[in-house]
Amino acid sequence: MGFRSYLVKRIWYALLVLVVILTFNFVLFRVMPGDPEKMIIDPNFTVEAKQELRRQYGLDEPILKQYTNYMTSLLKFDMGLSFNTRRPVWSELKERLPNTLILFLATFVSTAAVGISLGVFSAANRGRFNEKFVVGAGLFAHAVPGFFIQLLLLLLLGYYWPILPIHGTMSAPPPDGGFAVLLDRLWHLILPAGSNMILGFGSWALYTRNTMLEALSQDYVTTARAKGLPKGDIMYHHALRSVLPPIVTLVFMSLPGAVSGAVITESIFSWHGVGRYLLDATLQMDYPAAQGAFYLIALSVIISNLLADIAYGLVDPRIRVGAGGPK
Amino acid sequence: MRRKFSVLIAFVLAATFILGALAMPGLAAAEFKDYGPVVDEIIMPIIKESTALRIAFERGETVVWPGLTQPADIDQAKSLDYADMRMTLGFHMFYLCFNMRKAPYDAPVIRQAMAHITDRDNIIRTLFKGYMLPMTSFVPQASAFYKEDLPTYPFNLARAAEILDEAGYVLDETGRNRIDPKTGKPLPEMKIFTPTYEVAPTSAELGKMIADSAQKVGLPVVPEPMDFNIMLDKIDIHDFDMYVLAWSLSRNPTHLVNFFHSNQDVEAGYNNPGIRDPKLDRVLDLLDTAPELQTARVAADEAQLILAREMPYIPLYSRPYIDAFRKDMVTGYIDMMGYGAASNSNQWTFLNVSRVDESGNPVPGGTIRWALEEEPKNLNPATASSAYEWNVLDRLFDGLYAMHPESLEDMTWMAKDWDVDTWTTDAGSEGTTITWYLHDGLKWSDGMPFTAEDIKFTIDFLKENKVPRYLPNTEDIAKVEVIDELTVKVYFDTVSYWHLYNAALSFLPKHIWDDVEDYNSFEPWLEPHPTMEGFTKLVGHGPFMLKEYRPGEFVRLVKNPNYWRLGPAN
Repeated sequence: MGFRSYLVKRIWYALLVLVVILTFNFVLFRVMPGDPEKMIIDPNFTVEAKQELRRQYGLDEPILKQYTNYMTSLLKFDMGLSFNTRRPVWSELKERLPNTLILFLATFVSTAAVGISLGVFSAANRGRFNEKFVVGAGLFAHAVPGFFIQLLLLLLLGYYWPILPIHGTMSAPPPDGGFAVLLDRLWHLILPAGSNMILGFGSWALYTRNTMLEALSQDYVTTARAKGLPKGDIMYHHALRSVLPPIVTLVFMSLPGAVSGAVITESIFSWHGVGRYLLDATLQMDYPAAQGAFYLIALSVIISNLLADIAYGLVDPRIRVGAGGPK
Repeated sequence: MRRKFSVLIAFVLAATFILGALAMPGLAAAEFKDYGPVVDEIIMPIIKESTALRIAFERGETVVWPGLTQPADIDQAKSLDYADMRMTLGFHMFYLCFNMRKAPYDAPVIRQAMAHITDRDNIIRTLFKGYMLPMTSFVPQASAFYKEDLPTYPFNLARAAEILDEAGYVLDETGRNRIDPKTGKPLPEMKIFTPTYEVAPTSAELGKMIADSAQKVGLPVVPEPMDFNIMLDKIDIHDFDMYVLAWSLSRNPTHLVNFFHSNQDVEAGYNNPGIRDPKLDRVLDLLDTAPELQTARVAADEAQLILAREMPYIPLYSRPYIDAFRKDMVTGYIDMMGYGAASNSNQWTFLNVSRVDESGNPVPGGTIRWALEEEPKNLNPATASSAYEWNVLDRLFDGLYAMHPESLEDMTWMAKDWDVDTWTTDAGSEGTTITWYLHDGLKWSDGMPFTAEDIKFTIDFLKENKVPRYLPNTEDIAKVEVIDELTVKVYFDTVSYWHLYNAALSFLPKHIWDDVEDYNSFEPWLEPHPTMEGFTKLVGHGPFMLKEYRPGEFVRLVKNPNYWRLGPAN
């Protein structure tokens, strides 16, 4: 099977998964206990007002019609009006998307940089205290509930030693001038992105360490050592380079987790993003809003997985040729 | 006068109770100015997370820590030297509801016995460290319609056992259950639905405390915590014995009609207990359609008397408003009965609040920071529905009438007077008319005059577009007549004193909204104003104007230079 066939197959799978997720998404909110109409319909509304609201939100349609409306609308990125705010869901998501992407990017870059560096560092210090410390700290940070560490940091750096902002993406009001605004944004990123980095660096570090240790035991590394190459050269030019492909794949595989983790981080640090929006919408049984946010997250997860599959296919031909061997 | 005195006594008793818990000095009657605002600007950072809000208060990033409910938060605020704790009675009611459609809850003696076994003081002391007020009435004490001297069923286990025995509900041979005299069999398990401990620990524990107490007199009551939404569904289809829940009420007693009229005893209706009492229905009909205030008062009194006897609910406690202010940063906030010092409905605080200097003296002008606990999201006054949105919008709009912060009586405001009268409708029936007489010189924040035409435009617009939020206000309006620039008469098809409040809306500027085709998608706070640079089409007539709204970050309000009440009334 060639790479193109492999790619087409993965894309079909991705679309199929998307349809299943969206269908599940539609059904889930309708089988959940509770009546979402109560969120939009004031108890004191007249019968006429209740009917008007049901009509506006399409809740007076048969369930199958609601489903087809839902699916066709999502294809056009028309996610309807939020029950809660009466505003178009896509407008609300668009407002939040840049903030989520900024937080995600900052988290991702810092976590990958710190995790990979510490992984290489601990592999180079195998058996020493440094390695044990990195492994222990990584496992600890990974095992402790994320919200706990984040609340702890909020208290430590926002209250007992109040040096960092505790909410939002900017000062209120923000400073004047482009550079000052940039600095202000970065200042507000430190706690949320930093805490995410603390929570996430462990898995990167351990994965890098393990693959590095495997690479360091290979013959070509022994050869490099025998040639008398400096230790740094061996680590970075020989061993690390050989483990980069699986790490690149890990990059894509970690995207879904980072996206879903945004829900908690954005809530704790009052970060105006898609994750917080999803949480609010779910708690308030705001169908269109929650479905819109789920749609975005499902899309990002599916695209991440697709990219991971493609990356796998590119770096490891065995994946794309299947069990039958090359044809 | 007597009623006012009684309310004052009730307030003092309640305040004494909770002030004891708060260990605060007594509250002095607030002096307030009916003009303002004193500050030039309010920055409202949006801080949703409760820990972050507390930290922001302690860091001085907000001058108020509003709506404290958790004992730990109240204790923390109390411990801060610079925190000024304010407490006022609220309109909250936590209650236990019986399903009167089924036995044994259809028997008054069972409901009365349940009331006697309920130890409100112990519940409040144990679960809330004293930070709640015991409640025995169906209208909040803060309301001008609250009636005192109603029959009550104080905590008394012996009395509960005695009335059960007298009614034939005698103990069986085990001594742990009572025999239902109608069936001759032991009473079935009596379940109290509560939310789960994870969702509402105090409500779940409260259910257990009541059950434990009931079992002492042989009533087989058991608590049944469950998912909150499932509980609401079961209540909707009347599949319950008893449950505990809360209402947020208002100063007017019209909730009695919704909650206890037999026409609301339908699936998903609001008469959850299923009380069907013809006499009560007649009184509630009178309350609903009273042509003037005095009739409404008489009907409200009578309804409360019947409910106190019938006990479809056991009112348990009411949560007061407790707000903490940074007294080293601001002063002038006003306690408002039923609404608290920091609520969006309290216009007086926002007119009077000012910064202070190092000696604590008021300093006019300047900026204060006032946290919002939630995103306002939608600032379209036609569709905005949540309190978080009106936290902002209420600063931008004023009312035709106002509420006195202590008595909650109506005060003239943008309307210098009004008449409530009747007319004969086209169908020949009687209807109510409300005539508003506006002050001269009222202006929108963009300088355009606010006239009777704006009132007519708004009502016609909301009615023609069937705007759901305002349908209850507009559905009975037959027509609006502009008498002159400052006088407008609103005609209703039906008779009701409460139409006075239905006709007083948040009015829309005709010169802005005349061109709006789809009110649902109109986002006035995002569209630039045609003539005022730096402002938007969100034009109001309140003390402040919207200068900036950064979603998720902050709202910035500045003083409205065209506000009609910048100084004292002439």
